Amino acid sequence: MAEKGLAAAIAPHLHSEQTIKRGMTDVLIALIPVVIWGIIAFGINVLLIIVISCLTAVVSEVVMRKILRRKITLRDWSAVLTGLLLALTLPPTVPWWVVVVGSVIAVAIAKELFGGLGRNIFNPALFARVVLLFSPFTIYTTKFVRPFWWKNGGFWTLAQTRIDNSIGGRIVYASWGGSPINTLTTSATPLSLLKSGRMLGTAVTGATPVGANFLTSTGKPTLYSMFLGFKAGAIGEVSVLALLLGGIYLVYRGTIDWRIPVGIIGTVFILTWIGGSSPVYQMLGGGLFLGSFFMATDWVTSPVTRQGKWIYAVGIGVFIAIFRLVSALPEGVAISILYWNVITLLIDRYVARSHFGDATRPVFNRLPKLAARPLPVKKEA
Amino acid sequence: MAHAEINTDYKTFKGGIHPPYNKELANSKPIEAAPVPGKVIIPLSQHIGAPNSALVAAGDRVEAGQKIGGTDAFVSAPVHSSVSGVVKEVAEMANFTGARVPCVIIEADSEQVPFRAGETKPLDALKAEEIREIAKEAGLVGMGGAAFPTHVKLAPPKDKPVDIVLINACECEPFLTCDHRLMLERPSDLVAGLRLLMAAVGAGRGVIGIEANKPDAIEAVRKVAGDIEVASLPVKYPEGAEKMLISVVAGRKVPPGKLPSEVGALVQNVGTAVALYEAAATGKPLFERVLTVTGPGIRNPKNLLAKIGTPVSTLIEAAGGFVGSPARLIMGGPMTGWTQENLDAPIQKGTSGLVALTEELIGWQEEEECVRCAKCIEACPMFLMPNYIVQAAKRGQWDQAEMYGALDCFECGCCSFTCPSFIPHVKYVRKAKAAIAALKKGVK
Repeated sequence: MAEKGLAAAIAPHLHSEQTIKRGMTDVLIALIPVVIWGIIAFGINVLLIIVISCLTAVVSEVVMRKILRRKITLRDWSAVLTGLLLALTLPPTVPWWVVVVGSVIAVAIAKELFGGLGRNIFNPALFARVVLLFSPFTIYTTKFVRPFWWKNGGFWTLAQTRIDNSIGGRIVYASWGGSPINTLTTSATPLSLLKSGRMLGTAVTGATPVGANFLTSTGKPTLYSMFLGFKAGAIGEVSVLALLLGGIYLVYRGTIDWRIPVGIIGTVFILTWIGGSSPVYQMLGGGLFLGSFFMATDWVTSPVTRQGKWIYAVGIGVFIAIFRLVSALPEGVAISILYWNVITLLIDRYVARSHFGDATRPVFNRLPKLAARPLPVKKEA
Repeated sequence: MAHAEINTDYKTFKGGIHPPYNKELANSKPIEAAPVPGKVIIPLSQHIGAPNSALVAAGDRVEAGQKIGGTDAFVSAPVHSSVSGVVKEVAEMANFTGARVPCVIIEADSEQVPFRAGETKPLDALKAEEIREIAKEAGLVGMGGAAFPTHVKLAPPKDKPVDIVLINACECEPFLTCDHRLMLERPSDLVAGLRLLMAAVGAGRGVIGIEANKPDAIEAVRKVAGDIEVASLPVKYPEGAEKMLISVVAGRKVPPGKLPSEVGALVQNVGTAVALYEAAATGKPLFERVLTVTGPGIRNPKNLLAKIGTPVSTLIEAAGGFVGSPARLIMGGPMTGWTQENLDAPIQKGTSGLVALTEELIGWQEEEECVRCAKCIEACPMFLMPNYIVQAAKRGQWDQAEMYGALDCFECGCCSFTCPSFIPHVKYVRKAKAAIAALKKGVK
């Protein structure tokens, strides 16, 4: 008696609510406070940058998947997330065409050419961010403005960074149409203030004030203002409070592993302390929270075991601390995470997970001795 | 005898998942006898071990409880006729896995003669080897699904004495309620069965481990448990897996590739303990068992006492037939059971249930690329790396599949349950196990 509609399948026959889409939309939801703060702090230009970045990412994915003859998987929201994450790493006044270039690099190259979601080695958004950093367009991705600059210029002004070659390549700000915005000037980020102060061995001078209430007597933003988001910086990195809210939500949902942000931030704190810098300032001043909670925790490019995650997190923390204490760069979060994205391949290959009941507790994976491989296998049952 | 205490101090194991349990569909339904089908199909080998050969031929008359298949090999369990009737033929038929296996097909008499209890010794007077012999002659196997011959488990190596016997009364598989009902309706038989198991291996400690979501069963067993410990265990799948249960209750970890006797433990399922009691008290071999017919696709979910060899169709009918259009019918539990595309296969000694699931409840989607989220790794109670076993199996790198733990996998399905990419890890693990076994054979 054959019964219609009864399918054959292999156990288990139940599934949790967990899907790729759920993971991606969780991160998108977690980023809502960050996006809102970005728009409030830097004006409507930020919203346009985000929309352009996400749209470019979606179009890039569709085009690449058509070319590579892969199934279109827009419904998992991963392209939109990559676009958003890239936008959040860029300055609020980044020109729209730089965003388009970055978004294409992120999705078309870092994600799809590497094999698509699951096979990419680098976090696509960070890969594009670092490529832009070492590109002819560097200047557009490294000039920041103070928050609430629009109190003078108007919230709806679409301010963009430009190079005025008529006056020796000076950085100016202008609307998308090209009319200059004279009230807007470049502002140092807290970490670049710290770096230049340390290098000059003097108190910070020449910094554009962020707002009198949020500055110390040396011209640096206060820790409190940096925590809330009153500081110059990339769109998504300025409010540690908003990032923490999102990060805690993701940990609560089980979408990210707390070990990674805790490991990175803890390591940076301890090492910058030992290194004689100001550890709390280092924690709150730059892209550490955005990177630790939303970039380094990327499923695809971080290790899978708990031990591996600790190694990865501490490794990223050490790299960031070295960049900040030793190099001329003030930041180093993005590049450190990218380095460890590659090392992740080695971590997952060599760090052993001690199987249940295995008293020998191996630290490294060792291949068992089998006959020559690959084995000719009889056809699948 | 003092009433047993309920021990609730147990911490759960690492890993595991919380599937939707859906026990309420059938857990209040008393066990009832299933109708005897016109013919039963009894697979000659229903255990892990050496195959049986038929002891009857077409045309022979058989009585319920008569041995119809057996072998002299140690790791084996004889099979018995579950009805009185006439052997129609001995032929190859599809079993629940779809494999064709030798079966004895018996036409049942319209009037069934009930099984008559034989002469037995008082339970207290039975010696260890007598209990093992009873288990063997009754064809007892693990009734939770694995179907390992019970008497083999009762004969641990001499240098590894067993000091603790655990009854797996977790019933951690969703939907299934047959063990729950057995505990409510026959708690004394369960306790008596456990005492026999303890006597057979000379163990001093006996524990009945029940998940905390069955408080009525815990109470029912506690009342009659005497000096037997009743453990209320945290609710998590797969709490009832042999290695998990031993580690939770006894705090001992069975090493990879070893049996529970390695750490002085013996685990038996509720149904097996009750069957051992029946065999010792009345001489009744294992020819019928309690199973749950349930799921949203079943009209009247029930716990049925059914003859081994009853076709699935008879039991579905007995539970009111299908309702709506179920997408999968599963023999066993939904986490580890086998789908049935048609309703011809017979139930066996290890069949704990028939579960009809709707598409909505299954929630399974198309397989995607692994996104390395590590949820399978967090869920694996054996601390394996299921994602890498799958990757190695796809590439035919069997040494890597073994390195990542393919051989230690007991196929609980936690990895696939939690996988956002809907990867059927168990399928790849089975492939890897077969390939590694073939390779190792080739080396020798």
